[in-house]
Amino acid sequence: MNLPQIDVSALPDLDTLTGVFGSLMHPVQAMASDDTLIILMVFVYDAIKG
Amino acid sequence: MKIRPELQALRSDDTPQRQAQQRLKAALDDWRAGSPIQLAEDELARLAGGAVLEDLPLLTALFTPDDPSARQFVGPLISKLCAGLAKAPLGLVPLRHFTDDALASIMLARSGFATLSLQVFDGAGMARRPRPVSVSFSPSQTWEQVLAGSAGAELIHCRQTYPDRADLAVEPINLRPGTALIRSNRQTALVLGNLEGCLVTLRLQRRSASGGVTREYQLADGALIHQAAGTPRESRLELTAALLGRMGRVDAAPLLAAMAQEQGGASLRWQALRECLGLDTAEGFRTLCAIARDPADPLATPAGALWAQLLEAHPQLAEVEPCPV
Repeated sequence: MNLPQIDVSALPDLDTLTGVFGSLMHPVQAMASDDTLIILMVFVYDAIKG
Repeated sequence: MKIRPELQALRSDDTPQRQAQQRLKAALDDWRAGSPIQLAEDELARLAGGAVLEDLPLLTALFTPDDPSARQFVGPLISKLCAGLAKAPLGLVPLRHFTDDALASIMLARSGFATLSLQVFDGAGMARRPRPVSVSFSPSQTWEQVLAGSAGAELIHCRQTYPDRADLAVEPINLRPGTALIRSNRQTALVLGNLEGCLVTLRLQRRSASGGVTREYQLADGALIHQAAGTPRESRLELTAALLGRMGRVDAAPLLAAMAQEQGGASLRWQALRECLGLDTAEGFRTLCAIARDPADPLATPAGALWAQLLEAHPQLAEVEPCPV
């Protein structure tokens, strides 16, 4: 059987997309009532010993 | 870059910082030795395992209105940590914590999907923030006791949900020391209003182990503006499925087919199905047909539409599986 290779990017998504866990449109306000948020923090370390 | 002298000194000799951390750790150990935290952790583990709060005497007391247990529980911890930080302002509290200009939180204990944490809301910081325009409902439960401060707040009840909106009802409440709130976050959210000074609460939260989605609605009209996976596991698996697809791992197609047919979040299942179709056309198409055939499956309709679309574009797929949708 000669089957086509299906291009994933051409396949439709569901009508309502689901973001990753912890994502919100307006996270600042939601923090008052919900712990299920992810906060990414960037740490910059100074690697040069002086 | 400006580096304060205290920090500059630590770059060449971090001994004072390590000593400060040891003192804060000792302060925490001292509190643990004299508090019922071990019992709280045991009960938290049982709560995470599905126990009801009423069967857990300490946690019940901590979240009973006007019960002094909560203040007695965290009071000594705060005293010891504040004393430690007064001596070492650059010290880090050896408990998971977060702070910004409006909210500070310390996680006292965690077991699986359950956490016990202390929250402090700063009135001035909250007032600088824009008024909430949305509210989110997540698959979790929260028990909360106000330890200090008072505030006006609103409980937002999600009365009824539709695919693109929800009926929301607002219930104004007043928070004062001793107020205890129990809420299922699927149906009820808390929005804080104006508060004088600080509001301190002890919060117990249990996420649903079985997934579900968090939905965010616009307060003004109840329109659905965002939804997100209810557990990190779902997001992790979805990313894994996408990665296997990008890596061209044809050997993962049966696994993705199984994921697409499991009881799980619709989004995860759909993404697994898409990746499966991309990796192994026959396996993916058979899975698509199986989903489309099951009228009880929430993905049956989109699967049926995709089946028809693929069959129209590639008539030879009919040889794989004649699919009577």
